[in-house]
Amino acid sequence: MSRMDPRIHHVLDGELPREALPPGLRPALDRLQALAALLRSAPAGGGRSVAARVLAEIRRPLPGHLTRLVHWVTERHAVTVSLRPVWSLVVAAVVVVAVAVIPSRGSEGPTLSAEEGVAQFVGRFPGARSVEVVGSFTDWRPGVVPLQDDDHDGVWQTEVVLPAGEHQYMFVVDGERWVPDPLADRYVDDGFGGQNAVIIVQPGNR
Amino acid sequence: MTAPPKIRSYLQAPEEPPDAEVITRVLSGDVEAFGILIRRYEPGLHRFATRMLGSADGAADAVAEGLVRAYRHLRGCREPARFRTWVYRIVVNRCKSHLARRPSGDLSLDDLPPLPDPADNAMALERAEQLTLVTRALAALSTEKREAFVLKHVEGLSYEEMAVVTGARVPTLKMRVHRAREALLASLKEYQ
Repeated sequence: MSRMDPRIHHVLDGELPREALPPGLRPALDRLQALAALLRSAPAGGGRSVAARVLAEIRRPLPGHLTRLVHWVTERHAVTVSLRPVWSLVVAAVVVVAVAVIPSRGSEGPTLSAEEGVAQFVGRFPGARSVEVVGSFTDWRPGVVPLQDDDHDGVWQTEVVLPAGEHQYMFVVDGERWVPDPLADRYVDDGFGGQNAVIIVQPGNR
Repeated sequence: MTAPPKIRSYLQAPEEPPDAEVITRVLSGDVEAFGILIRRYEPGLHRFATRMLGSADGAADAVAEGLVRAYRHLRGCREPARFRTWVYRIVVNRCKSHLARRPSGDLSLDDLPPLPDPADNAMALERAEQLTLVTRALAALSTEKREAFVLKHVEGLSYEEMAVVTGARVPTLKMRVHRAREALLASLKEYQ
């Protein structure tokens, strides 16, 4: 790719008037301007407006928080944590260390440190093939915390131990659709025009 | 005399209110007022998405998803007077998501301009041929260069607006636009 005379860029960027360009450079300028004008023409299929589709979607009322909560409370949930083999080894090692080092509280299981808590992620995604949670605690990398729906009722969930405090997260449905948790504690701007859900993990919370 | 239905009045309003006023109405519960913003920005957003994705169907999906997302998160639009750059940012991200789902991550050429009809006149034939060449040359650019070129020269955004839309810095965007111009010019010279 050959470099173009910078004066052509200056004209196209509005930093120089066209007249400042030597006649020999004007054909390249004209060609680029014609090219841009062609692309500004209405694209093929441009007559198909999405206005009706968008308006129909936004007119459909979203169920309220209370309704969603009632659905969640009244439906069956299976609490199962399934991990990849490599993570199972890590979790097993953590459990062994926890049992050995941390004093037991009877039947309550291993005690969490003062800086940790259990975060429960639950989402209703009927028909989804996979759901996972991705967030600040996974460095926004997928493939770390999958949710389970063992009884195929569309409610996906998991529990993980996280450092106490606030964590931002999103659900990733079928590996491609990023969805903020509709039941999140609160939301923050994700810096890309959307919102991340926020979970507040209390220390020692189970 | 009975007032026309709300949606009709919006579609036919001769003088339309500024974005900030429309957004205030929408946030006050007037869902139909969002139609004003759709009509105002859909053509540009659709053109941008088509040039980015190379597919009218993909572009329609990206724009529809973006507009629904914009509506759902309208309270997050901190500067309603700059709704344009805000909604472009959302659709830009939708386009990136669509491209990321493709195995090659590259532009589809499903909707290259239709082959010219032999009955068309010479000027229309030449224009259709040129548009096909330009579309192919655009498709050969990287996503970042294509995005920068289209925002600058097709949608007419300033570099400062592009920085808001893409999150990239102005010098970076200038560099991308400059490289895109050079690549397009070089690519089209091959056909001369």
